[in-house]
Amino acid sequence: MPEKEALLDGRVISNWEIAKGHLVMTVRLPRAFGEPLPGQFVMVRPKESGERLLGRPFSVYGFQPGRRSATVAILYRVAGEGTRALSLLRRGDILKILGPLGRPFDVSHHRKNIVLVAGGIGIAPIRFLLEHLKRLAAEERPGISLYAGAKTAGELFGLEGLEPFCREVHVCTDDCSVGRHGLVTEPLAENLAAFPLDDTVIYACGPAGMIRELAALLRDHPVPCQVSLEERMACGVGACLGCAVAVRGPDGGRQYRRVCREGPVFDIRDILWDAESGDA
Amino acid sequence: MMIDPVRRRMAVSIGGLRLKNPVMTASGTFGYGDEYAPYVDLNCLGAVVVKGLSLEPRAGNPPPRIMETPCGMLNAVGLQNIGVKAFIREKLPFLRDHDVAVVANIFGESVEEYAAVAELLGRAEGVHALEVNISCPNVKRGGVAFGTDPDMAAEVTRAVKAATGLPVIVKLTPNVTDIAGIAAAVEAAGADAVSLINTLTGMSVDIERRVPHLRNVTGGLSGPAIRPVALRMVWQVARRVSIPVIGLGGIMTARDALEFLIAGARAVQVGTAHFVQPCACEEVLSGIEAYLERHGIEDVNDVIGSLKIEGLP
Repeated sequence: MPEKEALLDGRVISNWEIAKGHLVMTVRLPRAFGEPLPGQFVMVRPKESGERLLGRPFSVYGFQPGRRSATVAILYRVAGEGTRALSLLRRGDILKILGPLGRPFDVSHHRKNIVLVAGGIGIAPIRFLLEHLKRLAAEERPGISLYAGAKTAGELFGLEGLEPFCREVHVCTDDCSVGRHGLVTEPLAENLAAFPLDDTVIYACGPAGMIRELAALLRDHPVPCQVSLEERMACGVGACLGCAVAVRGPDGGRQYRRVCREGPVFDIRDILWDAESGDA
Repeated sequence: MMIDPVRRRMAVSIGGLRLKNPVMTASGTFGYGDEYAPYVDLNCLGAVVVKGLSLEPRAGNPPPRIMETPCGMLNAVGLQNIGVKAFIREKLPFLRDHDVAVVANIFGESVEEYAAVAELLGRAEGVHALEVNISCPNVKRGGVAFGTDPDMAAEVTRAVKAATGLPVIVKLTPNVTDIAGIAAAVEAAGADAVSLINTLTGMSVDIERRVPHLRNVTGGLSGPAIRPVALRMVWQVARRVSIPVIGLGGIMTARDALEFLIAGARAVQVGTAHFVQPCACEEVLSGIEAYLERHGIEDVNDVIGSLKIEGLP
């Protein structure tokens, strides 16, 4: 019988607040933890969680395999009680971690142009994907265009050291504190026509508003686009059906897919927005 | 694999359904069994109770469907399922390959739908019992839940019993005034066992945005928050009926499971605990075995209904 996967104990190495309400946590894990692929996520909860029982899902932000252990990094925002509890963990504290989970970004297409679109902490899986792309030999490496947006300059994370690997980096903030003012989809809209449709792929992660804008923009530009989505989860493995996202079924009708199993990465064109799905 | 020097007798019998041990999975928390197979050895379980099945597939409710609450969670999944025919075709063969009792949870919007689903499952190879979810609204009777009315609960039970020879477990809703009265009604209608409790209807509000946390507004509360209520109801029902009672509601550990067994449950179901610890069932099982050993009890059946209450027979 193959070795069973299990909820593992991780030990907090660091848990830094990098901007108000935003933290990066690095966790040492046993070797039994499988190597995550870009776009996959982990379910994390404090070992002693009190009245909060459920783990919280986070995209993998970074991963370092080691000889005896591995290190995983997550980037998160304190959004509620669960993430607040995680933010209080200190070096040496134990947490429970399940993963890696979910369907990763599909990087098997060998297109020459890659466009990365990240909003806020949506940079987490995008940065991890970039780390993967960096490992490709220079001649195989596609041209990478990065579009990153955030509310304010202090919340633009994960861009350090990436510029040498990107053909271009566009930065936008809502408050104009750095880069261009407005949504990151705006400069993308201006530049999109320059990308060859059949030799370009877009990877995106960010708030619902950004994904929606991107979906609207891509209606006129049939470039393939994979987007990593977020939804509340209980189990993370496909059993509870809590993390539903409405998609277009084979017959054009509305169906629900599990963000944890069929996702978190979806084809942006499969997603049904409220107005289309009749949910609104 | 656990090595037990004095092998405890763990088998229990639920109205014609023989289980190798009293620990089952709760419907809706364990998918169709395959989702948790990478984490749990299904062969160790007393039974796998699968996600509720209807005659036709159901899409379920729009998100958000879940919200964590103190010591529990609300869900309004909306009975999403692949339908009984796809279950038999696509999911049952996998379960059949395991040495575990398979209990199919069923529901319908009419008595006829319950009977039709039961008949299909009764003819399928590898289903050992049915669990009938009577918490669903009766569309023909203005959407009143079958399980809140003793006559309607009895009618569904009779229809399912007539449609199949499989043992029939009726799963009771706690959202009633007198759950023991409903239990007595389904017993009289031929139920082989009852399981309780289903979720308690609850609600949670985002005060910043002043909107409900669930798109459906209300949802079913599960987890340890409901355990004392569940335990009280199991105790009441076990005193009222003579058919076996299966206890569930917020069981996280062996200690919790033993509370239910001692209060009169012949078996227990572990539900929300899976979301916290995927191998919760195995932990509960090994904990019960350790308890029996610690107390020098050879057979788990000697624990069932062993609650001592001063002044009560």
